[in-house]
Amino acid sequence: MTTTPRFDEITGVEVDLDRPWNVVVWNDPVNLMAYVVYVFRKLFGFPKEKATRLMLQVHNEGRAIVATGPREKMEMDCFRLHRHGLWATMEQS
Amino acid sequence: MSGPFRQVGGGIELTIAPGESAALRTVPRLLDSVGESGEDPAADRLDQDPYPDDPVAAEEFRRFMAEEMTQSRAADRSAFAVTVEQAPQGVILSEGEAEAWLRVLGEARLVLAARLGIVEEGWEDDVPEDAPPVVLLHYLGWLQQALAETLEESI
Repeated sequence: MTTTPRFDEITGVEVDLDRPWNVVVWNDPVNLMAYVVYVFRKLFGFPKEKATRLMLQVHNEGRAIVATGPREKMEMDCFRLHRHGLWATMEQS
Repeated sequence: MSGPFRQVGGGIELTIAPGESAALRTVPRLLDSVGESGEDPAADRLDQDPYPDDPVAAEEFRRFMAEEMTQSRAADRSAFAVTVEQAPQGVILSEGEAEAWLRVLGEARLVLAARLGIVEEGWEDDVPEDAPPVVLLHYLGWLQQALAETLEESI
């Protein structure tokens, strides 16, 4: 039995494949609060209170993490947010 | 019920005045006018980069997702274009059509705002409030908010 070298051992880049990814939503001055709450509820199934809290965090602090998980799934969430015009990026946690 | 939208059996009823419907008919043309990323600020706002610090990952994301984004936007715009023509006679939007309206209204607002150079909060005080794109931006926002509230009733 053998093991393959880790990606970071080959490349020197520190990437931990097991570390989950976050989807970050950023504040923008155009999208409406009521719309952002609706999108969070519709896409992620959040109750109204949680969706509102996250929307306010985006509004007041400039950003909020709205989802955490495996990279491919987070990319799909990011895509769905873009599809709704929200400003969203990926970051490894 | 909120604004011109009302939950009815089978969907969301929309009732608007002829003047509003004329304004809404400009929306598909507005969205068609969006140019290429890097040349049109509206395109840069719509076609986002989820990996601003990683061009390789960003390119891969684009390669896998761009086509689906283009197709689903086209489907939204086509649903909007058809139903907006029916709006003056009164129309009942299916849930799918209502969702398409919500996204199309939002995209149109982002395009208008990008071309007005809006990048910061408080822009409402800095733009000429009677300018046609500003009036349209506010009107579409009023409509989108009313539709979001109406759709939220059935979540």
